[in-house]
Amino acid sequence: MIPASYFFLLSVVLFVLGIIAFFLKRDLITQLMAVEIMLNAANLAFLALAKSSNFLDAQVIVFFIITVAAAEAAIGLAIVMLIFRQKKSIKTEDMRSMKG
Amino acid sequence: MNGFGALAPLLIIVGAALVILLLDAFLKKDNKNYLACLSLFFLVVCAVFCLRSWNKNLSYFEGQLRLDNLALFLAFLFLIAVAFVMFIGMKYLTLQNVPGGEFYGLLLLALSGLMIMTSSLNFIVIFLGLEVLSVSSYALAGLKGKDEKSSESAIKYFLMGSFASAFLIFGLALLFGTAHSLEISAVLSSFRANFEGQLLGLVGLGLVIIGFAFKISLVPFHMWTPDVYEGAPTPVTAFFAVGPKAAGFAVLFRILAPYWNEGFKSGRIFDVLWTVAALTMLIGSLIGLRQKNIKRLFAYSSIANAGYMLIAVLAGDGASLIFFLTVYLFMGIGAFGSLIALSKKDREYTDLEDFAGVGFKYPWLGAIFSVFLLSLAGFPPTGGFLAKFYVFVGAVRQDLTSLVIIGVLTSLISAFYYLRIIVYMYMREPERDVDIEIENPALFLVLFLCLYGVLQLGIFPGNVLYVIRQAAASLF
Repeated sequence: MIPASYFFLLSVVLFVLGIIAFFLKRDLITQLMAVEIMLNAANLAFLALAKSSNFLDAQVIVFFIITVAAAEAAIGLAIVMLIFRQKKSIKTEDMRSMKG
Repeated sequence: MNGFGALAPLLIIVGAALVILLLDAFLKKDNKNYLACLSLFFLVVCAVFCLRSWNKNLSYFEGQLRLDNLALFLAFLFLIAVAFVMFIGMKYLTLQNVPGGEFYGLLLLALSGLMIMTSSLNFIVIFLGLEVLSVSSYALAGLKGKDEKSSESAIKYFLMGSFASAFLIFGLALLFGTAHSLEISAVLSSFRANFEGQLLGLVGLGLVIIGFAFKISLVPFHMWTPDVYEGAPTPVTAFFAVGPKAAGFAVLFRILAPYWNEGFKSGRIFDVLWTVAALTMLIGSLIGLRQKNIKRLFAYSSIANAGYMLIAVLAGDGASLIFFLTVYLFMGIGAFGSLIALSKKDREYTDLEDFAGVGFKYPWLGAIFSVFLLSLAGFPPTGGFLAKFYVFVGAVRQDLTSLVIIGVLTSLISAFYYLRIIVYMYMREPERDVDIEIENPALFLVLFLCLYGVLQLGIFPGNVLYVIRQAAASLF
């Protein structure tokens, strides 16, 4: 059987990958995906820690996080649609109408 | 004490939000002011329920939802803030073509998020409240659908906000790993044995603080603030400046204050937050100096104020933190309300030059706006002075003197940019054609109430301070 700590390590790696992708990628959809990866990394961390400590509250918490992630994705995609309709682009370098 | 009364205020607000969204969808009236009146009715009912549970310490859902005095006082503040924002929104919505039903409905949903956040001692419930607040805030920021700036501010707020939530939730996972529970008290007692040794828990607590630092715009997590404040519709900006900030600080205080009491004051987290407070005040006041757009300027002002509030958190001084938040509510909404007073059909005046000569053209408006600016700058006899004074005195008592010196110096610097607006209003000839299209009674009512609040808190703060001390006493 695979030890729970491996899952925890995987979740840390996923979280860091999400952060890197958020800063390196230059379009909104990919950044949104990076955030989703970070949220799912947190889910995996919860599950791994629940397994290693036998406290099962974490498995319920994961359901809450999945719901929250779905709500965020819904509103995020709606805003990206709004931006695309106005600017015909979802590149971050086009989001420069405010400066100071 | 267990009681359904603990759930009632929340149920009223959520119910009101749904009723208003449905009414707006089915009635299709052109004038949306009736929605504001209906929301106000629900807010008053909710306020009555909050008043009745004062000192009763009600709780519900096995203690996960807990209406202690602090939660009640903050809920009261949020109710006032949302009522004010709705009233200053009435004029804005008709003039700038913002959909009314969504504005009132989302504002009520955001209010429910604020109330959930502040009335729980469990990290997961706090997180859920924060998300209810955030998701409705993202939509509120982009409410002016045809305006490119508004949608841009929405996407910036959304990306930064959800990025921060990911940090927060990963931090919670790590805290769960050390404490096996997400009650604030359980996390604290897991640290009690060995504070510096628990690397996993410390990283977790750090990530949670980063998550909140984004929401309350502490340096270096403040980059989104100016853009979001500038792009979002002005009443919504007023809400962002007051609501989420107050809730975020209250929660941060609930999480952190017990640690200072336990003698973790020399810990690494304390030192890092000390630096963050200093940087926040410095950047908020220095970069604010070169802003020409008043909404952006207020964004930097709110960053600087976050620094002062963080001093109160570091000093573990709950009463002055809440007093600061109360005063900030009145002067913040008053200042943004004055900006809305000066607008006409499809046109907002937010540049510094627009304000040249306004003091002579509209003497009342100029005078009221000046009082709010003086209060933000911290001049006596306004509430802004006393708020800063209490925070600084409390901090000096806790040996944070060097932080207080930075605070006094930065509030001197920031006084310059507040006074510059007053100089423009009274000592320049009008350069541009600025006029008020509709005299809106609701807007002026809010302005006068805010003026009353700022002066009352500055001259006779006794009664409010008494209540605030009672609220802060419920913390420990």
